[in-house]
Amino acid sequence: MDRIQENVTTENYANPSTCFFHVLFKGGALAFYILSTLFANSFVIIFVITVLLAALDFWIVKNVSGRILVGLRWWNEINEQGVSIWKFECLDQESLSRMNKKDSWLFWWTIYLSAVAWVFLGIFSLIRFEADYLLVVGVCLSLNIANIVGFTKCQKDAKKQIQQFAQQTIASRFTSTVQSAFSIV
Amino acid sequence: MAMSHNDSVPLHPSSQSDIDEIENLINAAPATVLPARPQSPPRASIPVSSSPFIQSNIPPPSFHNKPPIPPPISSVSVSPAVLPVTDPNVRPTVSAEGFGSAPNTLTEPVWDTVKRDLSRIISNLKLVVFPNPFREDPGKALRDWDLWGPFFFIVFLGLVLSWSASVRKSEVFAVAFAVLAAGAIILTLNVLLLGGHIIFFQSLSLLGYCLFPLDIGALVCMFTSSVLLKVILVPITLAWSSWAAYPFMSAAVSPRRKALALYPVFLMYVSVGFLIIAID
Repeated sequence: MDRIQENVTTENYANPSTCFFHVLFKGGALAFYILSTLFANSFVIIFVITVLLAALDFWIVKNVSGRILVGLRWWNEINEQGVSIWKFECLDQESLSRMNKKDSWLFWWTIYLSAVAWVFLGIFSLIRFEADYLLVVGVCLSLNIANIVGFTKCQKDAKKQIQQFAQQTIASRFTSTVQSAFSIV
Repeated sequence: MAMSHNDSVPLHPSSQSDIDEIENLINAAPATVLPARPQSPPRASIPVSSSPFIQSNIPPPSFHNKPPIPPPISSVSVSPAVLPVTDPNVRPTVSAEGFGSAPNTLTEPVWDTVKRDLSRIISNLKLVVFPNPFREDPGKALRDWDLWGPFFFIVFLGLVLSWSASVRKSEVFAVAFAVLAAGAIILTLNVLLLGGHIIFFQSLSLLGYCLFPLDIGALVCMFTSSVLLKVILVPITLAWSSWAAYPFMSAAVSPRRKALALYPVFLMYVSVGFLIIAID
């Protein structure tokens, strides 16, 4: 019965394993940081494991879930003149429209929520005057923000390209329709 | 009436070229951005729209470039640098980039991305730290910079220092990490403010990779308790680090300000060296 439901509506996650990993390391870093006093007494271990999880999450979001869940990618290149160029890239329009809505909803919401969570944790550690933990929060927050900025720019670029493409397609179809109309007449 | 599809009706010439432009935008083919290394083959612009969108555990349809140097493996996404080739002239067949990828890797399997990033770290390390023919042109030194190598090296150095310390381990780690990270950022800003021409992340990446000799020194010092050995070993690794960082930094600023740019770098590495010697 579930099968029939899945065939009728595509409202389930199209890439459940990718979504799982996307959330796993973010949640893991946050959870480990919050519950750190249960696990280890040493600040060093807390720092290393939290930052490692955050870095893994950064890599996964940038290279894997960005590609698979929303079809976007961003990176930096240095060209011949030694100028650094930031590149933003998206899949073509038909693949983009085939993206699962639930996947992209999950992608964007978890990215924003985890950044907000780190900001809250940073405020807590500020209040408690723990400069060490502020360092951890700072690193994790900067990794999150880098991904947010990169993908938002990518998204804007993609929307601009869709608009341009749609305009061009409409214009070209209009022109060819007019042409064929004139050729018949 | 004929169907108004692009491939069956002759289009108005300007709209056809516009569509080509749009396709080029979408493909983001770096046709004008060639890699800096002469051996790298020019990239073929493979339209992304022709590739089916695939799950991560199914290998993609193989996109074949026609490289002038036939690599042992003909698929684009596997870099030959992964093979045990120590010749630095054999470069991976991907174009220069940082964390990211070339256009037709939007649909590559995850394992290929991992391998590519790992091989980039190793090749950057070999370029920066070990003697090789490309050192004469520091602009090429870290064209495809990445921050993973520096991240690992800084954390590793902090860990080793923390293990070597018998008291206040957390403080040692936090101080080492903060000093190295903040130091790299401040040194880069220093060069930029002196009117030098570097790219922020490239310089961060370089300063991080040049920590590798100090990492080795710290590791050896952790296992030995003889002060004499430490005092001999650390200056050697310090000199090695400074030698690795020197060409890049000195080429970035004007000759009159070379010392102003280089002295803080040297100072930072010297202080890290003292930290390594003094920890017990």
